[in-house]
Amino acid sequence: MFYHISLEHEILLHPRYFGPQLLDTVKQKLYTEVEGTCTGKYGFVIAVTTIDSIGAGLIQPGQGFVVYPVKYKAIVFRPFKGEVLDAIVTQVNKVGMFAQIGPLSCFISHHSIPADMEFCPNVNPPCYKSKQEDNVIQEEDVIRLKIVGTRVDATGIFAIGTLMDDYLGLVTQ
Amino acid sequence: MADKTMPIFVPSEKPVKVVKWKIKQGSFVSQGQILFLYNDSSGNINEVKKFKALRAGTISSIKVKEGDIAEPGLPVAELEECRHPTVMKEMCAECGADLRTDVGSKREVAIVPMVHSVPELKVSEELAQKLGREDAERLLKDRKLVLLVDLDQTLVHTTNDNIPPNLKGVLHFFLRCPGGPGRWCHTRFRPRTKEFLESASKNYELHVCTFGARQYAHAIADLLDPEKKYFSHRILSRDECFDPRTKSANLKALFPCGDNMVCIIDDREDVWRHATNLIHVRPYSFFQSTGDINAPPPLVDEKSKLISGKNGAQVPVIHQMPTLDPEPEQKDSVVDIKEQKETNENAIDGGNGKILSKDKNKPSEEKSEGADEEGERLADGAEPRWVETSDGQIEVEDPDDYLIYLEDILKRIHKHFYDLYDKTENKQIPDLKMVIPEVKSKVLSGVSLVFSGLVPTHQRLETSRAYLVARSLGAEVTQDYTEHTTHLVAVRAGTAKVNASRRLGEGKASKLHVVTPEWLWTCAERWERVDERLYPLQRGGQSSSRRPPAHCSSPPPAPAAPAPAAALRKRTPSGRFMDTLNPLLSFSSDDIADMDREVEDIFNESDESSSDESKPIGDDLDDEENPPEDRLISVETEDSSQDRLQDLQDAGSSDSDTDEPRSRKRPRRSSPPSDDEPPDETDDDSSWNLMGAALEREFLAQD
Repeated sequence: MFYHISLEHEILLHPRYFGPQLLDTVKQKLYTEVEGTCTGKYGFVIAVTTIDSIGAGLIQPGQGFVVYPVKYKAIVFRPFKGEVLDAIVTQVNKVGMFAQIGPLSCFISHHSIPADMEFCPNVNPPCYKSKQEDNVIQEEDVIRLKIVGTRVDATGIFAIGTLMDDYLGLVTQ
Repeated sequence: MADKTMPIFVPSEKPVKVVKWKIKQGSFVSQGQILFLYNDSSGNINEVKKFKALRAGTISSIKVKEGDIAEPGLPVAELEECRHPTVMKEMCAECGADLRTDVGSKREVAIVPMVHSVPELKVSEELAQKLGREDAERLLKDRKLVLLVDLDQTLVHTTNDNIPPNLKGVLHFFLRCPGGPGRWCHTRFRPRTKEFLESASKNYELHVCTFGARQYAHAIADLLDPEKKYFSHRILSRDECFDPRTKSANLKALFPCGDNMVCIIDDREDVWRHATNLIHVRPYSFFQSTGDINAPPPLVDEKSKLISGKNGAQVPVIHQMPTLDPEPEQKDSVVDIKEQKETNENAIDGGNGKILSKDKNKPSEEKSEGADEEGERLADGAEPRWVETSDGQIEVEDPDDYLIYLEDILKRIHKHFYDLYDKTENKQIPDLKMVIPEVKSKVLSGVSLVFSGLVPTHQRLETSRAYLVARSLGAEVTQDYTEHTTHLVAVRAGTAKVNASRRLGEGKASKLHVVTPEWLWTCAERWERVDERLYPLQRGGQSSSRRPPAHCSSPPPAPAAPAPAAALRKRTPSGRFMDTLNPLLSFSSDDIADMDREVEDIFNESDESSSDESKPIGDDLDDEENPPEDRLISVETEDSSQDRLQDLQDAGSSDSDTDEPRSRKRPRRSSPPSDDEPPDETDDDSSWNLMGAALEREFLAQD
């Protein structure tokens, strides 16, 4: 799910940037430091929308670095259990398939793929195919899945998905 | 699983009426999913409550029908708990349960990482077996086998060194490493790699199995197979290896039903623990100064092998010669590197001077002075030649044609396997670990060999590597001539057996082939009976190697395996290390008699053959024992009257043990080292002094 929330971040700046462009540098540094990161609580920071305030900088005694507390708003993506999302299949193997939902990787085990779909390793690329051959899921396809579990690490989130529910599976454009 | 099944009880003290089941029998429910709607008989009839699953699992049976009253204390349904057979990053991939929080509740079932490139994804033994069986069935249906392909020095050769940017056929790519600057890799495919993969993929399912890092492995696989039609995602790299030294540990995980249908090609035998289903390929070396950049740490007893691998030369492995000091090899490799530098320099102006003829016995006359005989021999044949073309590209003529033979070997193995499979009644799957040695043993079947000069006299024939190589090819090897003998493999002309072969050859109808050991090594390399006419034994030619190149050291047939160690031990009853060093102590009386006979034969020979005899030995020793300094001297003195000086210098160097320290010190004592005098000059002086002293002595002696 996407949220637009207020967040805070501290920017540590080298004294060499002290000058007329100082605040620009702080903003630039904020974009590079937070966009694309992932925290367990808020999920992936997709984009910074506005920078609300840049607080008073605090010079670090002994080294001359300055710390700016920055308040900003950002769009974050936080996956939840039970959420239904569209994903792109990245790898298909005999144990299941991997899919990518933007920055989020997801695994769908064979068990969670409808039983009538079989793994076909011989075609290139390998795919899951239903018996009537009318339903084929292979790499690069868009599928709709439901998240059944998430693993939140310090550096990222990983999800387990399933296709075993109504209206899940291949998304036909 | 009975123990995992748990009943679901009515959620209240009183009987309840099940209004509607939300799930079917056998369906999978996750935690918190609504199982059924019910109402308390006590309360309002219209008030419907939901019953949610407390745990994830499969509903194995439903005991109460819709509309029925369920009594408290009796199960409404049974739920089979999820056994977490597939686990990804410690999360069950089926029910989504976090297994990290479920501490100690049950031991982990999923332990087998079945997918090459994702080690975090594990499945249970049971599921692995099932998937493995499916794989095997599918392979049999498609009449395919599994082929594990090594990358470095088998299909490609990669270097991190700086190389000329305009080499033709060399691909460049940059590998980023996390927390590092990254590195440039330059890769050259072995000639015919594409064709080889194309043809092999018809009969085999190809897997990459390399000790390179994952990024590297995938980069190379992308280059080799941009459409992913050969390897798909079946790429196993160092990051997924269980053991940093061997690849065999991963076999069990990748092929849980056994490796009966697995065939391996690799240039390193030790990483597979000398498995019999391995085809040991000739290492491919293109960038002369680089070995395998991803070589695993060597096993303890194979130190020298790694050294040899470093410069692409084929210095023999010393499995069965534990007493051999690795020092000479090291010295060799230093010399090799020196030579390679030279060739690299030559390469720029395109005048390498290597003769690329098939005729390996013919020594190349134009070889550079510094190149020693051994390095020359080893580099021969497989050495690429660099030629600059008009458009500024350096065209490289690469004579490596090994993949043609490998393709053929793989075809034969495939055919043999499925012939066996079709023959067996109950469709039992033959084991490639048996099939491959069988195919190999057909190569020289019906051939009977006699060795001459190939096995050191103090070594028993049965323990020699040459013997084992020949046996693994199916040839028969005898100590002496029998009526069946078809081939004589001789290192040099003029031995007793070579002479005897002439007499024998006249009497017999079938021809006795006299060949060099290269014939045997080539047979072992290509798995085919090579035409003997290509490897005739030439008079006076010391071109042959006694020891097989490293890649010919195929595993001996099973019963012979423990023989070498046992035999060696038997011969040195005291078991002391010293005894193994002194060959005289380990000679049997038969050996000594044999030596006597040989010496007598040599004396009976004409003069010219005896000179043939002695020369090669001299050559052999020359490179290993003379320090490089002597060579410097010989270069310096070249312009003066050569024959004479040669003699003098020999005398000088033999006396140098006593002279050298004195002459070294002399200039230093007279003039203490000053800043303006470079140290090289003093060294130079000392060597001149040395020669001067030798000259003086010589003249005095003549007077």
